[in-house]
Amino acid sequence: MFQFALRMAAHRISSLLAVACAVLGAAALITATGVLAESGLRSRLPPGRLGGADVVVAADQEYHVAGDLPIALPERATVPAGLTARLARLPGVVLAVGDLGFPAAVTDPHGRLLPAAAGQDPAAAGHGWSSTRLLADARVEGRAPATPTEVAVAATTGLSVGDCVHITANGHAATAYRVTALVHSPDAEIYFTDTRATQLSNRAPKKPSAASGEGGMGAGTDTGVGTGTDANAGVGTDTGAGVGTDTGADAGTDTGADADADADADVGTNANAGTDADAGTNANAGTDADADADVGTNANAGTDADAGAVAGGAVVAVPRSAVVTGGSALAIRGTVSARTGGPARTASSAHTAAPRAGTVDLIGLRVFPGDRERVAAEVRGVVAGSGLKVLTGADRGTAVAPGVGSARSLLVLLAGSLAGIVLLITGFVTTGALGVAIAGQRRDLALMRAVGATPRQIRRLAAAQSTAVAAVALVPGIALGYLLADRFRTLLVHRDVLPDRLPLTLSPFPALATVLLLVAVVRTAARCAAWRTSKMPATEAVAESRSEPRAPSRPRTAAGLLLIAASCALSVTPLLQRTAIGASATSIAGIVAAIGLALAGPALVRAAGEAVVRRLRPGVSAPTWLALSNVRAYAQRVTGVVSPLAMAVVFVLTYALAQTTVLAATSDDTRTGTLGQYRLSAAALGGLPTDTLAAVRRLPGVRAAAPVGTTTVVWPYRQFGDTDTESAAALILTPAARDVLDLGVTQGGLAGLTGATVAVSSEVAGPRDAGLGSRVRLFLGDGAPVEARVVAVYDRGLGFGPVVLSRDLAAGHTTSGLDQSLLVRTDGTATAERGLTALAAARPGLALSDTAPEAGADTPPEVWVNLAVIVVLLGYLLLSIANRLVAATAQRRTEIAALRLVGTTPRQILAMMRREAGVIAAAALVSGAALSALPLVLLGEGFLDRPWPAGPGWPAPAAAVTVVVTSYVTIELPTRRALRVPPAEAVRAP
Amino acid sequence: MSTAAVDTARRAPAIALAGVGRTYPGGVRALDDVSLTVEHGTFLAVMGPSGSGKSTLMHCAAGLDAPTSGSVRIDGREIAGLNETRRTELRRERVGFVFQAYNLIPSLSVEDNITLPLRLAARRPDRDWIRTLVERVGLADRLHHRPAELSGGQQQRAALVRALAARPAVVFADEPTGALDLRSAHQVLDLLRALVDDLGQTVVMVTHDPAAAARAHTALVMADGRVVETLHHPMAGRLAARLAALGDR
Repeated sequence: MFQFALRMAAHRISSLLAVACAVLGAAALITATGVLAESGLRSRLPPGRLGGADVVVAADQEYHVAGDLPIALPERATVPAGLTARLARLPGVVLAVGDLGFPAAVTDPHGRLLPAAAGQDPAAAGHGWSSTRLLADARVEGRAPATPTEVAVAATTGLSVGDCVHITANGHAATAYRVTALVHSPDAEIYFTDTRATQLSNRAPKKPSAASGEGGMGAGTDTGVGTGTDANAGVGTDTGAGVGTDTGADAGTDTGADADADADADVGTNANAGTDADAGTNANAGTDADADADVGTNANAGTDADAGAVAGGAVVAVPRSAVVTGGSALAIRGTVSARTGGPARTASSAHTAAPRAGTVDLIGLRVFPGDRERVAAEVRGVVAGSGLKVLTGADRGTAVAPGVGSARSLLVLLAGSLAGIVLLITGFVTTGALGVAIAGQRRDLALMRAVGATPRQIRRLAAAQSTAVAAVALVPGIALGYLLADRFRTLLVHRDVLPDRLPLTLSPFPALATVLLLVAVVRTAARCAAWRTSKMPATEAVAESRSEPRAPSRPRTAAGLLLIAASCALSVTPLLQRTAIGASATSIAGIVAAIGLALAGPALVRAAGEAVVRRLRPGVSAPTWLALSNVRAYAQRVTGVVSPLAMAVVFVLTYALAQTTVLAATSDDTRTGTLGQYRLSAAALGGLPTDTLAAVRRLPGVRAAAPVGTTTVVWPYRQFGDTDTESAAALILTPAARDVLDLGVTQGGLAGLTGATVAVSSEVAGPRDAGLGSRVRLFLGDGAPVEARVVAVYDRGLGFGPVVLSRDLAAGHTTSGLDQSLLVRTDGTATAERGLTALAAARPGLALSDTAPEAGADTPPEVWVNLAVIVVLLGYLLLSIANRLVAATAQRRTEIAALRLVGTTPRQILAMMRREAGVIAAAALVSGAALSALPLVLLGEGFLDRPWPAGPGWPAPAAAVTVVVTSYVTIELPTRRALRVPPAEAVRAP
Repeated sequence: MSTAAVDTARRAPAIALAGVGRTYPGGVRALDDVSLTVEHGTFLAVMGPSGSGKSTLMHCAAGLDAPTSGSVRIDGREIAGLNETRRTELRRERVGFVFQAYNLIPSLSVEDNITLPLRLAARRPDRDWIRTLVERVGLADRLHHRPAELSGGQQQRAALVRALAARPAVVFADEPTGALDLRSAHQVLDLLRALVDDLGQTVVMVTHDPAAAARAHTALVMADGRVVETLHHPMAGRLAARLAALGDR
């Protein structure tokens, strides 16, 4: 039977070409989506700066949802620093390094800010010198930094040993440093002495009492290196040599520096109290002194080394200086033994001045050769129950930069949103192409019935034949899919959606899934397409084989109408859910309707054809009359080409306009909700220096300025008895945001946004039981569980996201710990703008931008991504449509020849075919527009309060032109070809 | 020219072939210097074994195909040198066809099929004439059916009406009974003969069935692209013997 099927397939190669093309495209699209999805789940950044560590211990950067995919957490979660010493003592461990990263950026001697290298996050570019031991094959030129004002930088910066640079580190104002070493490694960043790094990153343990000599013993016996510096001397024969010897001097200097900073903070608070609403509120709330201190520090900490010197010797400084001095391995070890095994995340509370005190980002271990697995197993035993992850090999990449690595979750999202549309369209196209191919063989199949094939055999034959064709097309299709996924990744990287260093995961799983899926679809579709012919009595089948079944099947029509009704129901979604997900229902509704049209089409086309033919004037020209008669009589064939064309129209209109409408509504929300005219940010520094806010507020003409940050929250909530978990972008605001943002608050107010509080958008307030005054449980961007009170409910959720965190709540749970940007509202005068511009220019790394971007300049990357998706899917649709039309026209060779035999001139045949093409194009456009209308009207109502969507005007006419040209060209060319064969020959050889 | 040639006495022959040759690409010589004349009101049968060139002869004589050499006149009009469109228009006006495979357009009803050539020529169908024909072939109650709903004999009779609807100068029938059972074949042959006898129609029929050919006034026997014999008032028996002899060569 199979051989038979193959031989028949070879005979019908032209009509099966359409099937092959459909399957090829489908395989490419499904494989590509699969590769994206798999990469989103399994792709790892290269180990990069951890390349030299054999075992890495880091916090879990994923939130695990029962029965669902884990959600990536973008903010760095920390590890207790004391664990370093414990791990260092494990047998087989050569070296244990507690790595910490904090915002740092270098300004070269010419005053230029050096950009972070590709794949590096400025928010965690600063490290302690010991972290160089985690690099793979790093060569050090010069000597390790030994004093607090010495630093090592990457050789790629182009600096030389001895250069004097300024470094803006963790929000402190730029300070002068001398370069003592160049680190030759593509992953090298900025290295301070370990003590300085601990101090700059505010990681020193809080309890001064812990800073005893106890740890000194540990250091002596340890082979490993902690965040501290002492131990380094023992092991670090090469790189660490200089460090240990300098510890004493180092600590001393540090103490002084820190004292200055703190004293200054206090002074700053006092000075600003009158003007700073933020500080005032905190003072009023007055629940804890720490919060107050925090505000002060953020506002003004360490304004300048010189300023610090002036204010030096303040009393406040003393206890904290002790803390900093204790910032060596010794002190940390002390704390850890007290707290071993405790969950890392609860270690820091949101309300302390140094919420991440006593932690490191991760611990890297170097082990003796061959000991990796054994040590890893032992480390797992040590950290069991703490929630920490022990990573080796490629998994180390997950610990490098959670903020960068978490971008891969975008791939999952993307693949998820693509999957629906890709499956619908490829399924539709493939089944459609099979329908045409089987219809073209109806006569063969009928004749086979006549010579004794059973209905089952006929269906098996159809399935076998289609499977053979699909198998041929699958191989190049899948290969193309991998290429397509790679192209798509390039696009995403190009648009800064995806980090350059995140590779795709290439495994056979997407290919396998594609094969299973498509073969199932093809076999089922082929059986269905051959169903009618196979079930008919043999003689009737032969008789019917030259025309079409007279009455379209009723269940088919009913199913189609049902789908169209369902799509109408689906298109109501944007009215109920004013989110991007709600809007995506629009395009799904459109496509479902187009599939409904494909099913109900024959009945509709026939009815319309009958009506038109009956009303034709008697004098109408013969080609027109013939064309309309054909449309009526070949309703199924006509539907077969009208419905994919209509689908193309529907797809372009709904998909494109859903995007642009949401975009318009979102930017409308953002525009009207943003009162500040300027945004001051410092992405290149990893965050704004802490004195920026005060400096901006002091400028003439500035009415208000408030910090604005974004992070991610994971919000599990109960819905319909299930727990749904959603990860969403969240703003981080202070009460001062009232003056620069208007979120459309309907209940409560942003004034209460202090302590453990949040504001939520009205879209989520209701369904998630998060009304004003209620308490919500969230997980912050580093995975820390928090409980917060809702102090405000706002309307502009589309522009500002579903949830806003108070800055107090988010403190200590972001990677950088700094404010990302300031929104500034001025009196609109040129003076104010000049002041701001001058301020930004004077401080390298600060970027001033207008909050009202000119149209088009700020096209978000998802628009490009969606545009690419539209182009690819539309190309696939059009190709398949063209194939189908060509196949359908080629199948009419006999009919064309018969017409010519009875005296139809070639010109009349062409005229008839063109008129058919016209009818097809018109039907596709009308039905496509009709099917898109309801979803788009409802979309406009839901998002813009008007019954039409927003978006450029050109897609509609462009779609119309495409449809007309496609139908014309794909009918004209095969017709002309058919006309070249003498009619007498054509009828003879059907 | 054609309108001038009304005078029956001086009317040009329905078909006149002079020295017609047809060579197909590849050098196959299907017709070799064939000359023949078919007068109005006569019934000519063309016989011959497969590959003898009888179908090519018909295609050339009917203007379906252009000869590579020689002259073909249909109702006095030369077709050599006419392009496809002109030939089609000439066929539409002067020639009717009946094929073995009927070649009815499946999407059109029987009535639409019958009037199709007239519509194509933008001519008003002669309702009375068509009703006469339809009643004569016994299809009056089948006019609104689709071809697929008719029996083979009925389809062939519908095709015959279509061929005659435009009152052509000549009707070509290519194995008209080849696909029919004996009874239907008889009916169709009777009809053809009656058209000639009663209505003065001219019919050229290609067939390999001696019994069918025996209904014609004249029978040509072809072999290797040439006319090898012309028999007037042929008898089925003699024809069969002649064909058998040709087949044995």
